[in-house]
Amino acid sequence: MSSDIIKVKNLTKKYDGLIAVDSISFKVKEGEIFSLVGPNGAGKTTTVEILECLKKPTSGNAKVLGHDVKKEDDKIKKEIGVMPQDFNTFERLTAKENIKLMGDLYGSDNVKEIMQKVGVDEFKDKKFEDLSGGMKTKVGIGMTLISNADLLFLDEPTTGLDPHARRETWNLIKDLKKMGKTVFLTTHYMEEVEYLSDRAGILIDGSIEVIDSIENLIDEHGGGIKVRVLEDGKALNIINDRADEVLKGEEGTWTGIFDSKKEAREALIKLFQLDSKVEVEEAGMDEVFIRLTGGKIDEGGELV
Amino acid sequence: MKRAFSLFISLTKNWLRSKTGVFFSILFPIMLLLIFSTVFGGQQAAEYTLHVQNDDLVEGEETQLSSVFIDALGSSESLNVVEVDNLTEHREERAFGSFRALRIEEGFNETAINKSIELRTKVIRDTMERANGDFTLFSIEEKVENITDELDDQNVSKELRKRYEEEGYELSSDENISIIVLQEGDSWNLYDEEKGYDHEIREENGTLNVYWNFEEETSPSAEITLMLNEDDQAAPIIRGNVLGIIDSFNSQMLGLEEDDTVINITEETRDERGLQPVDYYLPGFIAAFIMSNGVIGVTSNISEFKRNGTLKRLTATPLKKRDWILANVGQQTVLAFALTAIMILVAILVFGAQAYPGPYAIGLIFLGAVAFCSVGIVLGGLIKDVEAASGAGNAIAFPMMFLSGAFIHVETFPDYLQTVARILPLYYFHQGLREIMILQNPSDAFLAYLVLGIFALFFIVLAIKTTRWKDI
Repeated sequence: MSSDIIKVKNLTKKYDGLIAVDSISFKVKEGEIFSLVGPNGAGKTTTVEILECLKKPTSGNAKVLGHDVKKEDDKIKKEIGVMPQDFNTFERLTAKENIKLMGDLYGSDNVKEIMQKVGVDEFKDKKFEDLSGGMKTKVGIGMTLISNADLLFLDEPTTGLDPHARRETWNLIKDLKKMGKTVFLTTHYMEEVEYLSDRAGILIDGSIEVIDSIENLIDEHGGGIKVRVLEDGKALNIINDRADEVLKGEEGTWTGIFDSKKEAREALIKLFQLDSKVEVEEAGMDEVFIRLTGGKIDEGGELV
Repeated sequence: MKRAFSLFISLTKNWLRSKTGVFFSILFPIMLLLIFSTVFGGQQAAEYTLHVQNDDLVEGEETQLSSVFIDALGSSESLNVVEVDNLTEHREERAFGSFRALRIEEGFNETAINKSIELRTKVIRDTMERANGDFTLFSIEEKVENITDELDDQNVSKELRKRYEEEGYELSSDENISIIVLQEGDSWNLYDEEKGYDHEIREENGTLNVYWNFEEETSPSAEITLMLNEDDQAAPIIRGNVLGIIDSFNSQMLGLEEDDTVINITEETRDERGLQPVDYYLPGFIAAFIMSNGVIGVTSNISEFKRNGTLKRLTATPLKKRDWILANVGQQTVLAFALTAIMILVAILVFGAQAYPGPYAIGLIFLGAVAFCSVGIVLGGLIKDVEAASGAGNAIAFPMMFLSGAFIHVETFPDYLQTVARILPLYYFHQGLREIMILQNPSDAFLAYLVLGIFALFFIVLAIKTTRWKDI
């Protein structure tokens, strides 16, 4: 049974009367990838920075690796790895020099090993300012990893990256889990949350709307499985008998929405036996978010 | 400490690879030093200022010949004659630039006239001597032995008096006459104070010949004293000009022959070093740019690190606030020493500056770097906006540069601006450096050490207090 590596209780942060984080509570288990997801201004970075001991909470408690964020920031900082939002570092130092600096700050000298792990080796002697977004992120993760910490905070690590670089970063983050690291991720990309995370919490206006495993979130809040049939004979009857809701589509199509996976599975077996032409659409985190908030997050992280 | 050192290395590398940073921190100050020292202190001046003190006064008025002599000096195209009342005070006031001065000694007018008359008389006598083959007054061929025996006893015998009278020269009473044996047995000097006779009596082939004695000059020469620095490159030019003017003065004013002179020039070579304008500018530039690198450079760097997230990245590590401050101060100190070394090298190679950066200068530069870097850390820490932080740094540094007298002598400022200068820490920094590096008076830099020490301590404490390591 994995233990809780982060415990947050009624954590609140106010700026001049404005509530950035509003009495949130959650736990992060050892060895998991936990994502805090939400639009810009939801309070993700404020929350993560409180846990990284970069900000003081206004009220509430948080313990990281068993240490109180209010009193034991020295201990916490030695035991965590951090990649801040809009990550930057000394621009005229090379990738290797930047990673080595972090190694010196954490008392770690496995620079070569880390560079190989995160794929920095091939551009290690290039100045940071000359690197592409994807390369910079790799350096950032390398700088985080060289702490040799078991708990890593990655604050929006893929924001602004092209799809290829984003996919590479995802693989890297998956590898971190394989290394036994616990990853606390913040992001506004639902696809990223779904692909990487074991569990996620949706943060809106400083409050956590929901927190659970990705599977449970989709099951409970994703709006079910959509099965579309292209004819209205027996196939439509099967849909009508089992679906929770049936919608008429364009060009004589019908869509059955199944809240229960079991009902959907049974309906699909019958449809395959009829050799019917069907299209299946499973719900994802996008649907979860839309259903919970009534809005969608665009590419820039804004709630629309 | 290891963390601070690693960060110091990273900050230094990051700075060294910034073309803009290196330009404004090192190259720009050197360019300004070259421009200032060339424009305001070039050695190739066509006219050299010669300070003249005239001590030959009668009832407070310059004597005629001394005044004419000063006019003659002023007529030289190479000399800019500036009359001063007291050269000593003037030299103490102006520590920089070579000391080139001339003093006309008391009695110049009178001795010049007397000497001139004497030399003219000698010319007449020389002419007469040349006309006669020699210039024997008269000869005594009889009873030579009687006369010479008496001369040996330092007496003027009746026989000698008689012969003098026969030749038309009357000697005064014995007490006014002195006789000196020049060469035992055959040469005597007779000097009659009352009559003004100065004769040499020589026994030559059994005859006593009496000559005018021209060997000894009785009048002193008119004196002037020329004061030049030993290593002043313009000293030979000034000396040559003054000697030329003396020759011209002799021939035109006094009508003397080419080889005769009534003016004796005594040269006082000062053993102090000849300081050039660059020696004034150099400590000023070093201090001013250590200040600006701290106040503008550090402020901009820190606010930029805050803006781009680098500082946040560092605060998330085990790095302590004190390590951050230490690394910045270390980097600025290294930069300050590098700037000092390069500027001194350039100043020595290009302008022959006299700077000597000894241990006291190193100590003061260290204090200056710490003090002004701390100001930068305070500003960068307090002001969130990058542009505002940079603006604040400029608003503090530039007025301080010019008001402190780093580039311009404070003595040329109006009184109220002099007061302003003396409350600025940069004033004490460059004055202290000047005392140590150029004038080599470390004891006179005590106040600079004290002021900068207090300033550094105050701002380093303030930097620790104002640097935020949370909620950046």
